[in-house]
Amino acid sequence: MDRIRSFQLWLAGVLLAGLILSGSTVSAQEEVASAVRRYKAYEASTGYYEEYEVLPRRQRPLIGVPNIRAGIFPYSPTVAKVRSRAHLADSHQGIRFYKGRQCADCHPAAATDIHTTRANLTCRQCHGDEPIASINYYWSPMNPIRRHAYVCAKCHEGASASYAAYVVHPPNPAMASTFKEFPVLAYSFWIMVAIAVGTFVLFLPHTILWGIREIFIKKKTKENKTIEPDSQNAD
Amino acid sequence: MNPTVKTRIKRFTPLQRVFHLFLMLTFLIQSATGLARMFVETSWGRNLGYLFGGYEASRTVHIYVGIIMLCGLALHIFYILFKINWRNFMSSLYGPDSLLFRFKDVRDLFQHVAWFFGLKKAPEFDRWGYWEKFDYWAVFWGMIILGVTGLLLAYQMAASRIMPGWGLNVALWVHRIEAILAMAHVFLIHFFVGHLRRHNFPMDRAMFEGSVSLDATRHERPAWIARLEQSGELDGVLVSEAMTAQRAIHYVIGFAAIAAGLYLFIGALMNVPYISW
Repeated sequence: MDRIRSFQLWLAGVLLAGLILSGSTVSAQEEVASAVRRYKAYEASTGYYEEYEVLPRRQRPLIGVPNIRAGIFPYSPTVAKVRSRAHLADSHQGIRFYKGRQCADCHPAAATDIHTTRANLTCRQCHGDEPIASINYYWSPMNPIRRHAYVCAKCHEGASASYAAYVVHPPNPAMASTFKEFPVLAYSFWIMVAIAVGTFVLFLPHTILWGIREIFIKKKTKENKTIEPDSQNAD
Repeated sequence: MNPTVKTRIKRFTPLQRVFHLFLMLTFLIQSATGLARMFVETSWGRNLGYLFGGYEASRTVHIYVGIIMLCGLALHIFYILFKINWRNFMSSLYGPDSLLFRFKDVRDLFQHVAWFFGLKKAPEFDRWGYWEKFDYWAVFWGMIILGVTGLLLAYQMAASRIMPGWGLNVALWVHRIEAILAMAHVFLIHFFVGHLRRHNFPMDRAMFEGSVSLDATRHERPAWIARLEQSGELDGVLVSEAMTAQRAIHYVIGFAAIAAGLYLFIGALMNVPYISW
């Protein structure tokens, strides 16, 4: 019995080690064997980029576009039109003067995320060439069912569907509306801010008052010798 | 000055000073590499990044130094477990030499604040003041928050297997705010209390030399000295002053750390308006 039991334990150990050591296959890896090759194959079909889109970061006129501001009402009629087009093959279809506009004219906040400002990506590198499909359009590369493989995996090899759930254009965590849009982010942000502010509300005045108080203490003398300033028991 | 005269009292062991030096260096590297990435949109941030080989290299340095810091934390926890007197567990944990908070610390805080306004006599501190205990535990809480979120961000693919990708958005903000809190606390409050207030000006050498002036300690921490005198341990912990060359090295290291910290803090403050969050 002991031998059978020890064999069972040994088998269980081997199976457990096998489970731990053999990583599960990431779905995107099956489709995208090489990120570079996949990227080139995909990009080769999209034509070329506009010159303004491939200039270095500081020269792109995307961030801080004047005269585009959200007012009391969240969307202008034009923006509302776009927002209600989440399933179209051409999400910008019928928008006036579309050809003369740049992405950030209507999407200023979308041009300030980390991918744009730090990784130096242009909009079209993810959203593709014209016509830009709505993200929920079935055949769109941006559709969540294939976004990880067609978009994220271009740079992040092995990206899974879970990985693609990262919000590339996150809302400002400090805004009240974020509690509805992305509650976990809003609560985490405000809890951390409360901890930071609480620490400084306590320790900053404490430190300043302590510093000031020590300036005004008297130096004690002992046997005609001046000793170090007594910060605690003086006065 | 006669180097054989024992005018100082031993406060930190060599290993404790090594822990502090390790933390000081790694914290400054993490601050510099982290700010270099956060401020890459500004020339200040880019120049800072060049010190470590650029934007991408700063990330690599940040990740590896972060892992080294976490190893340091693990070693420190082992050190604590080794230092605990398991036979007198409770007194070891809550005794006057322990860094755990006691009710006396709360009382000391209020009495100390009252002393700021001249309302009460200053509290008689023992070996560790409440602000020192806060600094010590803040490192634990900060390193756990920064370490966990940092690992999630560093190994995003692995992280997205155990949580949805939007968890990385949350991790990024938690990492940022905690890092800003840690840097501001160290560069403003810790530096001021430990180095620049009148009692310690121009620099508290305790963490480098391992000892503090007996006279100054008698006045700042009378309860500690009285306890040592009562138990007859005082003579055993008295040491002489370090050599002049050693002290010069301590000052150079200390002032360099303060200068680096202030440079990072002021530079970051000046460039905040020019980055997109």
